[in-house]
Amino acid sequence: MCMGSKFLAGLFLALTLGPAAGATDADPNSVPRWLTFDFPRDSPVLPVSFAMGSSTAKIRGTSMMLDLHASFILRNVGGKALSGLTMRVEAPDLQSGKGSVTVPSLTVQPGETFPVKLDMEILRPISAGRMGTPSLVQVALDCALFSDLTAYGPDELHSRHMLVVYQLEARREREYLALLLHNQEWSKLRDELNFGLPEESPRSLGLEFIHGPLGSVANGRAFAVSPVVFSGAPVQPIGGGAEVAGNEVRGPYVELRKMSNRSVRSLELGWIVRDDHDREFVGGSIPVTLSTEAVQSVKITDSGAMRFSNGIGQPMVIGALRAFVNDVEFSDGKVWIPSRADIDQATNDPVLRHELANSPEQQRLAKIYRLKGTTGLAEELKRTN
Amino acid sequence: MTGHPSSELLALYGSADLPLLERWRIRRHLSRCEHCERQFSIFRASTVELKRLSANETLTGFEAIADWSRLEREMEGNIVVGLDASRCIEKKRGSRGLLLKCAAAAGMGSLFVLGWATHIPGEQSVRIFTALRGAFGGRHANEYQGPILRSVPDGIVVGSPESSMTILHPSTAVVSASGTAGVEARYVDESGQVTITDVYGQ
Repeated sequence: MCMGSKFLAGLFLALTLGPAAGATDADPNSVPRWLTFDFPRDSPVLPVSFAMGSSTAKIRGTSMMLDLHASFILRNVGGKALSGLTMRVEAPDLQSGKGSVTVPSLTVQPGETFPVKLDMEILRPISAGRMGTPSLVQVALDCALFSDLTAYGPDELHSRHMLVVYQLEARREREYLALLLHNQEWSKLRDELNFGLPEESPRSLGLEFIHGPLGSVANGRAFAVSPVVFSGAPVQPIGGGAEVAGNEVRGPYVELRKMSNRSVRSLELGWIVRDDHDREFVGGSIPVTLSTEAVQSVKITDSGAMRFSNGIGQPMVIGALRAFVNDVEFSDGKVWIPSRADIDQATNDPVLRHELANSPEQQRLAKIYRLKGTTGLAEELKRTN
Repeated sequence: MTGHPSSELLALYGSADLPLLERWRIRRHLSRCEHCERQFSIFRASTVELKRLSANETLTGFEAIADWSRLEREMEGNIVVGLDASRCIEKKRGSRGLLLKCAAAAGMGSLFVLGWATHIPGEQSVRIFTALRGAFGGRHANEYQGPILRSVPDGIVVGSPESSMTILHPSTAVVSASGTAGVEARYVDESGQVTITDVYGQ
């Protein structure tokens, strides 16, 4: 960066952030105006220290780019073990979107601390000025989940449901792996946790959402969405379709049928994309709220479009689409997720089975197994089970 | 003066390059010494002849000494000629460099077109050209102009080209869609803890 750019960056920071710009003080509530915390006073989780690391500001054309690398330590000040946490991340001046950071699969006992990192970039016109917001980035507690599946927080992002699903998946994985260890099924354990080891980095997927008026596309064709059925699921997909053109999927819809008499509040529909090289990716999930109990079947539609690419941005040609029910929340608040038996019975394809069983906890335990072997995994399962 | 002056002194006397006292002593000796007088006459005649012959010729070493102002003009002329010549060479080199640059640009252009044709699907090309047309010549009414939400190799971006927020993640993160307006990245950090970042469009 030239001297002029440095001067402009410094001037911008001086004007927008005041004398505290660039501060790395440990007090989370008073000093840093790059970033502020909004945790209620009675929150069972509170920030205890904070650092901005190598955060910088640069001039990029007529805009200013802030490169934030924040790390903070949170403490469980409540009386119950903490299992997961979601924090909202907003840049109020931008008003174009918001984000969140979730830390699932935690086992933090009362009084213990744990670290959280937040790396982000904010690009804003130099001329934009401040809009009276206390900081450029605000971090707020959205939901904290405890080991008894009770939760605390405003839950504006509906993160409680996902934290419960992550926790149930974590318990399922821990029990399954503990069983494999107990039965000394080493080959199965290797298959489970070493899966994809030759590919040191996971297959990456690029996504782009398009909402709003969409123009017509050439070569668009109707695609059937194949259902993946879990036998024990209270709601099952029975079919669906979408318009697919190259790497773009438009207007997907899935028909669902309720298989249980229990009242269902919501569910999460997962879907899988197969590319033209027959590689399959879990493309994502769509939360669905079911309002009418009496309806036994429902059609889920989305008017938007999504474009797929590989990790380096090269368009991915869509070969096939599949849908499955990832989880179901009943009206009494209880949550169903597929068991290991459900997943094993759903498909004979080991790659697809692995994708269906893939969870944050499985990812975490796989890393421990690869780094520390069977002994390390056994110790971790003993600590968390 | 006890003896005859040397040839060098006579030559210098002839070109009026001796100090006043030395010149007086030489003149006094020449008035009394026929031998030296003859010697000096030969020097002077030679100098006159050389000057006459070189009036339209290149300067000689002797003349260079005898006529500094002319030498100066000659040197200036040579410098001007040299500079002109170097300018001509520069122009030649410049035009050759321009040709090389044009050839390199044409090669890169051909490679780009070939790469585009073999890697970018037709509908993507149409979309890109449409976007470029929109940027330079106005947008169509039905084109999407809202905030962009997309994943890049090291993060998830929401916003516009001028104003955006990106939550960064390692390139090893598993990226997927989160609902109908969100993108999620999941990774295990260096401390062994799973972190999930989500970015939502408004």
